[in-house]
Amino acid sequence: MSKITQSSTAEYFAKNLQQVGFSSPLKAVLTTLKESVDNSLDACEEFDILPELHIEIEKVGKGSSKSTDLVRILVRDNGPGLSAEDLPKVFGEYLASSKFGRGRCSRGQQGIGISAATTWAQLTNAAGAHVISKTKTMKKAIKATVDVDIKHNKGKLKNKESITWDKKNGLQVEFVIDGRVQLNGDGGVLTYLEGTTLVNPHLKLSYKLLDNDLVKIDRVSKEIPKVPPATLPHPHTMKLGEFLTHALLYPGHTLTQFLKRGFSKVNDAAIKDFKKQGVSAKDLNRKMGQFKDSEYKKLFQAIQETDLGNPTTRSVLVIGEEGLAKSIQRLGEVDFFSVVTRKPKICDFKPVVVEVAIARFLNKKGSDDEPSQLLRFANRVPLQFDKGGCAITKAVESVNWKSYGLSQPKRSLPRGPYVFAISVTSPFIKFKNASKETIDSSDELVDELRFAMMRAGQKLSRHIKQEQKAADLERKKQHIEKFGPILVKGLVDITKANATRKKKAVAGLDKILGRDAKEAEAQLKAADKKLKQLKQKQKSKLS
Amino acid sequence: MAKAKVKKTTRKKKDIPKMAKELCEGMLSNLEKGKKPVLHAVKCSLDNSIYDPKKGYFTPGEKLVRTELNVSSVQKLARTVFLMDIMLNNLETGAVNTKREIYYIAKGMVKSDNFYKPIDFNDQPDSDGIINYICDLMEVYREELNCFANDRGGQTYSKNLIVTESLPDGTVANVDLGALGTTPFQPKNKPQVFSLKPKKGKIDFCLVVESEGTANTFVSNGFTKRNNCIVVGAQGVPSNGVRGWCKTIQDQLKIPIYFFGDLDAYTLQNIYRTLKAGSAASLVRNADFSAPEVRFLGILPEDVKKYDLYCYDVKEKDASEARALKKAKDVLKNDPFFQDKKNKKLADVLKWLITNKKRCEQQALFSVDPKDPLKPEKIILDKIKRGSYI
Repeated sequence: MSKITQSSTAEYFAKNLQQVGFSSPLKAVLTTLKESVDNSLDACEEFDILPELHIEIEKVGKGSSKSTDLVRILVRDNGPGLSAEDLPKVFGEYLASSKFGRGRCSRGQQGIGISAATTWAQLTNAAGAHVISKTKTMKKAIKATVDVDIKHNKGKLKNKESITWDKKNGLQVEFVIDGRVQLNGDGGVLTYLEGTTLVNPHLKLSYKLLDNDLVKIDRVSKEIPKVPPATLPHPHTMKLGEFLTHALLYPGHTLTQFLKRGFSKVNDAAIKDFKKQGVSAKDLNRKMGQFKDSEYKKLFQAIQETDLGNPTTRSVLVIGEEGLAKSIQRLGEVDFFSVVTRKPKICDFKPVVVEVAIARFLNKKGSDDEPSQLLRFANRVPLQFDKGGCAITKAVESVNWKSYGLSQPKRSLPRGPYVFAISVTSPFIKFKNASKETIDSSDELVDELRFAMMRAGQKLSRHIKQEQKAADLERKKQHIEKFGPILVKGLVDITKANATRKKKAVAGLDKILGRDAKEAEAQLKAADKKLKQLKQKQKSKLS
Repeated sequence: MAKAKVKKTTRKKKDIPKMAKELCEGMLSNLEKGKKPVLHAVKCSLDNSIYDPKKGYFTPGEKLVRTELNVSSVQKLARTVFLMDIMLNNLETGAVNTKREIYYIAKGMVKSDNFYKPIDFNDQPDSDGIINYICDLMEVYREELNCFANDRGGQTYSKNLIVTESLPDGTVANVDLGALGTTPFQPKNKPQVFSLKPKKGKIDFCLVVESEGTANTFVSNGFTKRNNCIVVGAQGVPSNGVRGWCKTIQDQLKIPIYFFGDLDAYTLQNIYRTLKAGSAASLVRNADFSAPEVRFLGILPEDVKKYDLYCYDVKEKDASEARALKKAKDVLKNDPFFQDKKNKKLADVLKWLITNKKRCEQQALFSVDPKDPLKPEKIILDKIKRGSYI
């Protein structure tokens, strides 16, 4: 029998980096950037700081592996900074997170992503994350390199030195990795930055990508999103294993105390109902530490059968229609847009908020025959891969956009120069994979997404219908000019009528058809009026 | 050629130029008054088809297609008047054209005069639609507007039939079908004035065969030599020429006419029903283009059983075969011809097709006795003798 050995978490991830977003050189660049930005934004929000990020991406040479470049990725923020003690934990240790399992709508959840980026840098360029950090209390900043001690899943601080940094507080991280840079398209860096800009109205961003000019984007909101505090878990959202682990935190509590203090929505009435499911009064007063594993399963089954109120929706974060409306203007010159923020809803026993922004840009490339651009977000993080399997894509394709005036092939994305930005926020988003690229689709979630999109579609249709009416009027006018004289000439030829009759008939025809055009004109005016009202409403919201 | 009096079989000729002028006069005068001209055309569809068993063919119901001049219809009406002018010109000069030729004439006129450019036809179906609309509007056949379809089907063989045709120039042509050798006589799609008579005595019957090839085989094997009859090849869905020709045979010779074709929904509805009662698309001309006395000789379900005929299974998974089944169901539900109790036995055949999910081709008779080339003829004659037809 071969010897059984134990691997560290870092060893596992070092061998399976493809599972966390490093499956190709292109994804490696995007994931590294994404993890750095997520950490910066989460840290700023945690400490009530309006985020100001600077990003640089450049090719600095040839990569060590085939068909790759050596790419430098730098992200600098004005966040709280990290102490020398925390730097190796954050950048060099897997599952060392302040957010793990807390049930909050933060971007990062498990503490894997940024350590994976350090590992990738180590594996491809033999150097981890180069960091500069300064907290408010430090006089000088720390400059160091963090490596992952893969064998022991520990971060190692190297080349540590104190430097003078002209910032009060903040953090700068720089990775030099093997990768490839793609700017545009679904998996492009620019697409990621556009998406991040859209769902973070309070973000001030500057970036320099490859040889392109420096781009500066100002914030459109000074309101720092308040990430609602975590709520206690709801028993119906748990699996047996999670229930067991949760119970370990309450060894000295009785079952009743555990249920009431350890979960949300468990009250006295629920305990009564729980008893009806066959749990004895004796068991209810037993300490949690006294239950055997086999008994836990019965308790878990009983609680699943117990009637409980829906989980609270207070833990869900909302970007808001106003923020989205302002933010969308930063992506380009908007012809018209529509934004919808739904009220928090319980889908599959989890609180969820769906927000939709649809915009038509004046300078957007793409013809009427090309599919619209779909930007997907989960907890304000752009999702850029595996579009087909995502609940958001499914929902967009299932809506009949034709009824809102958009062109749409059957069961596909609508066509035209539109951008559809759809955001799902929830403390418990169910992803299909560890790299968090697609949201798993349940019927309830797809329905909720559809409702939001349909509402946005209704708002959008007012503008499109006005356009159609204008086109209709033009078409009618053209018809009169084109076909009227031919009709009259034909009638005059067949009846051999004289010139006077012809003249009279032309006048009569103009009168008749002009009347029709007038009706169209009246409809156009009415549609124009409605549209103006809508735009006025949008304007007042934005101001 | 000698001049002779012949019996006319077509309906009284309408004064089409006069009708067209009146129609246009009405439109023009409305325009002069600033009123919207409204045109009414017969709605040529199954939901406006009335089947009167006494008449035996479809007649139009009361539904009309109303076209009022507005921005949406101005193009259609301009095109209608434009093509009407071309066709009236043809009538005046005696020129004839097919639909495709008219399409090209229209294109030529547009090319030569930019004024007409807006009404240019992109494709033939566009101009065909307008020609059909003119016909429905004036309740005339397109043949009456000198617009003819290709001659198709109707090859006729007989050793005892003389056809006398009266030509427009007043001359008369006598055609002895028995003296044509292997060449058949073929009626044209354009109106012809025929007088039919047997050379000797009375002709016993007329057999209309769905497949032109099978009709040829019968004749080559001596069917018309052995039988005092007429054999006509329908060549699928009967053309106007074939339909008018069968009516002429029915009306003038007063002999039994039997139709012999496949046992499937398409043959029953599209071929046999069109021959017998006309079609929904030609409501205004069914009176002249249907032969209600035609009987359905087979293939009948009883023949399948009696002669153990080879049948094809209709597979519902196959798209085209599933369509055939659906068609049979639709026919029973929507076609007034099959809904009439007079045609109950034909409807029963359709029900048999739906229940048994089978179809049998006319050529299956050749499988009964493969060594006897005359077996199909014998079966047909036996069926006629036994009255095995509907």
